[in-house]
Amino acid sequence: MPAQDVRELRIVGFLCNWCSYGGADTAGVSRFTQPTDLRIIRVPCSGRIDPLFIVRSLMNGADGVLVSGCHPRDCHYAEGNFYARRRLEMLKRFLPITGIDARRFEYTWVSASEGQRWQHVVTEFTRRVHEFGPAPTFNPASEADWNALAVQAGQGQACPCHG
Amino acid sequence: MRIGVFICHCGSNIAGTVDCPSVAATALTYPDVVFSTDTMYACSEPGQDAIIQAIKDKNLDGVVVASCTPRMHEPTFRRTVERAGLNRYMFEMANIREHVSWIGKTKDLNTGKAAELVRMAVEKLRRDKPLIPKRFETVKRVLVIGGGVAGIQAALDCADGGQEVIMVEREQTIGGKMAKLDKTFPTVDCSSCVLGPKMVDVAQHPNITLYACSEIEAVGGYVGNFQITIRKKATYVNWKDCTGCGLCVEKCPSRKLPDPFNEGLCNAPSINIPFPQAIPKKAAITAASCIMLQKGKCGLCAKVCPVKCIDFEQKDELINVDVGAIVVATGYDLFDWHKYPQYGEGRYPDVITSMQYERMLSASGPTGGHVKRPSDGKEPRNVVFIQCVGSRDKSVDRPYCSGFCCMYTAKQAILTKDHIPDSQSYIFYMDIRSPGKGYDEFTRRATEEYGAQYVRGRVAMIYPKGDKLIVRGADTLAGTQVEVPADLVVLAVGAESAKGAVALGEKLRVCPDQYGFFVESHPKLKPVETNTAGVFLAGACQGPKDIPASVGQGSAAAAKVLGLLSKAMLESDPAVSRVNPARCVGCGKCIQTCPFGAIKEIQDRFGNPKAEVIDTVCQGCGICTVTCPQGAIQLEHFTDNQILAEVNALCPPKMFANYE
Amino acid sequence: MSQLDDLKNAIKGRLGELECVIGWEQGYDSLHATPLFIRSEADLDRLIIGPLAVHNLVTYLTGFKGKKVGVVVKGCDSRSVIQLLNEKLINRDDVVIFGLCCDGVVSQRKIRAALPADPGFVESVEIGASDLKVTVAGQAATLRLSDVLADKCLICDTPDAIVSDVLIGTPHTPAPAASLACQDEFEAKSDAEKFAFWQETMSRCIRCYACRNACPMCVCRDHCIATSRDPLWLSQDNSPAENMMFQMVHVSHLAGRCTECGECERACPVDIPLMLLRRYMNRQVKDVFEMQAGKVLDQTPPLLTFKVQEERINERGW
Repeated sequence: MPAQDVRELRIVGFLCNWCSYGGADTAGVSRFTQPTDLRIIRVPCSGRIDPLFIVRSLMNGADGVLVSGCHPRDCHYAEGNFYARRRLEMLKRFLPITGIDARRFEYTWVSASEGQRWQHVVTEFTRRVHEFGPAPTFNPASEADWNALAVQAGQGQACPCHG
Repeated sequence: MRIGVFICHCGSNIAGTVDCPSVAATALTYPDVVFSTDTMYACSEPGQDAIIQAIKDKNLDGVVVASCTPRMHEPTFRRTVERAGLNRYMFEMANIREHVSWIGKTKDLNTGKAAELVRMAVEKLRRDKPLIPKRFETVKRVLVIGGGVAGIQAALDCADGGQEVIMVEREQTIGGKMAKLDKTFPTVDCSSCVLGPKMVDVAQHPNITLYACSEIEAVGGYVGNFQITIRKKATYVNWKDCTGCGLCVEKCPSRKLPDPFNEGLCNAPSINIPFPQAIPKKAAITAASCIMLQKGKCGLCAKVCPVKCIDFEQKDELINVDVGAIVVATGYDLFDWHKYPQYGEGRYPDVITSMQYERMLSASGPTGGHVKRPSDGKEPRNVVFIQCVGSRDKSVDRPYCSGFCCMYTAKQAILTKDHIPDSQSYIFYMDIRSPGKGYDEFTRRATEEYGAQYVRGRVAMIYPKGDKLIVRGADTLAGTQVEVPADLVVLAVGAESAKGAVALGEKLRVCPDQYGFFVESHPKLKPVETNTAGVFLAGACQGPKDIPASVGQGSAAAAKVLGLLSKAMLESDPAVSRVNPARCVGCGKCIQTCPFGAIKEIQDRFGNPKAEVIDTVCQGCGICTVTCPQGAIQLEHFTDNQILAEVNALCPPKMFANYE
Repeated sequence: MSQLDDLKNAIKGRLGELECVIGWEQGYDSLHATPLFIRSEADLDRLIIGPLAVHNLVTYLTGFKGKKVGVVVKGCDSRSVIQLLNEKLINRDDVVIFGLCCDGVVSQRKIRAALPADPGFVESVEIGASDLKVTVAGQAATLRLSDVLADKCLICDTPDAIVSDVLIGTPHTPAPAASLACQDEFEAKSDAEKFAFWQETMSRCIRCYACRNACPMCVCRDHCIATSRDPLWLSQDNSPAENMMFQMVHVSHLAGRCTECGECERACPVDIPLMLLRRYMNRQVKDVFEMQAGKVLDQTPPLLTFKVQEERINERGW
């Protein structure tokens, strides 16, 4: 099922300027067709990507977040992706406890010459997000849902720590 | 704020799959947008003039252009808005070509996506601030890494241009691959006669300092102010005193190791000068085969040396030097043909590489210029050349064409006939690639005047029969199988990236491609620049190249260096990190993570520790901004608020209450 | 001599050189302790230790930056000291550490749940070897200490101060439980259940920032990005998403730094089980970086450094 045939989902991409943004450009120059869901935010380096940008996107209702930087050792700023790798890995591992499907967030490395690889990454990730469908929103969508939540909270759902 | 939006058609490149007028109309509904239009070519002169006119007419204080990638035309448009009197950072680009029109097929989806990318750019622009660059001085000195023909050319051009040059060569002598060649195509002139004088120029030029037997240990700093550490490897000879007389070379009793300069066709003495024209002409000891260094006795060289310059205690030496620009000219290496089972994997001594053949043809080579079979020293009659050994072959991960093998094979066939008039050359080839001035004529001469027989096809196997090697292959033009009894087989081995290129790339922050060749900044428009400012490429380190192309790149890189260093002051990118001292708690985490040492601790007037960014050292990566929990250090032009604005433009937060 | 007397003597000996020594005293009733800032020998009389002395007093240390102070720490609290030292947020020379060998502290929440009615004002508490006798409104109830110990004490592997200038009491041989049942139970839930749980829980949050203010590692104080305009990470909208976002900020800033002292959860007025998040993150840190915050001196926090090859991070092939 090609992603284009269904309603677009909201996928946010954070790409470093030197490798992955260039890789996405290369894919464009080579006319490698990709699903249109992804919107790319350009940052200088994957080291600039605060994991909280990803959380913010997810909290705001993004259905998927894709981060890509230079391959380890190839960082334009020498060390940015090494820091990014630790930060992003921690976020990815942390998400399950919040109930947010960690597979909605992915990080990878794509160099400026890897247009084909970028096409593959975007296509695969978009396909995956479409498989999960729209992400549940943390804030209720309607007034009725808000009220239901308020009632539930007032009664106090069973908490594993406090009985 | 008053924002103007320009949606570029890029001819039909964008307009073909994006409804540009509709995107322009949508953009007009975005906050602070007071003017929005579509334009045929935003980057053309009339396109830029229209932007300038709109800035003046509509009193704009920020501009969004939605067109191609900012990696292409951001500098162009920044200059445009600057010409209209705006700060160049009051400009944002939305990439609706590479990221939209060229990759999406559906027009309405593309149009929607383009409009959102414009919205993102508008929201970012609303939070942009004018930024003023800082100016800094540059070190007027150039580092050239690699002393092959490309590096030599770059060094000489830079030195002639008045810059001080440091040349670092890994081997004992400069000259690179070209120094090993006998003749060069398509003129068949003597390689060392062309190169030799240039090598001497390097040695004698007052502006050039040469470090041979040396490698780059570490690279720090940034454009205009690089700090280089050079490791000068121990040669066990005090080069200050060595006169290159060669007495030690004659007397050295250890001749166990194959001579690398002669491609292993003969053995070299432990203390050696690679060839008579070597620059620098100094002896060096190979520790692995030196009896004195291995077993502690011998020392014959020290005894015979008239200037007593042998020093068995010598150690590697580290040299620090500051430079303003770097030219990388590390060249290439030859493909290891032993990976191919069909060529005997080294079992047959009479299967040699083209470079070995080159040494055999050379009058200064181990055979004195006589072509002899390694097995029995006989002169061959039938010489078979096999092309594309390690080129254009996915099975050995070398899918690229090495470019120069067709030409040197034709040259070697011609030289074979010159050396042995009654010989016959056979050349197994895939295609003859000879696009160059006088190149195709040259390959034709090889067949028409020198009778070389070209067989279009691959070789399936080589096997010995008597004192001959039978080369069995296909002739795809005749559609038959052919067997050629050969006296000598020469493999036209392809080029691969130089050993250690990837490790050097890491130090220089220059990205290698998947085969280890360095990636240029733009394949067409910036062939010698890299993505690291102040680092330039010359020659085959960027991809296989013949001599004229390498020399051309050497000069091109030198022109770039001279242009860079001709400026009294360089401007630093003002998109650097800045500390808000009111928010900084002085924890020093940013100092700890900065890869460039661009943040220092200062004390405010109350004595509290605070971080401060050194503008000209900061490279603008933003690692610090993420490290700082208070958000006290913000990367200008990529602040938290600017990126969050983009996030919120893409995914608007769902509020509990409507606050409006 | 009792441990308390030993401690008082130790403090008395050092008080002269210190701005103050931070300990505990009885709070508004017999059950609740409150921090005590000892500035004179007279103040020493009010000092208490034991299962009711729950606060992690290290939280106050960064506030005294530049002055020399003393602090009384339990084993878990000492980890916070180490972490602050490792991050150079306090100076070792500026702090005198009075370490305790701790037998565990109570959870007020568990006591409240164990009593027949909300205690309100507790008249007296008698602390026995293995039980607590709590008198409320003239009626006494006896609670087994092991039933009302804080969760962190059940899995505690550092009962004795790891770093100290003076160590009071007899060191333990800790035998912690491997994991907490409530944690395992929660982690086993499906994504949808966990998501719904946090949605509901976060709708309770009143964003009072008590969790942040009680946290010994939250050193930003007035400069927390949760309450700043530049950068503007959070709106003041009191919705589950914004409240959760704040918790994500907190947990993200604590990654590799949290010493699991449990102050955030203890301070929460609406009983949000924040430690579910903390313990989970800490386990990820331990799994990937093989370190625990505040266990070893002179250790760089994992997110402030890197390895070129990360043995435990799987580079996902795409």
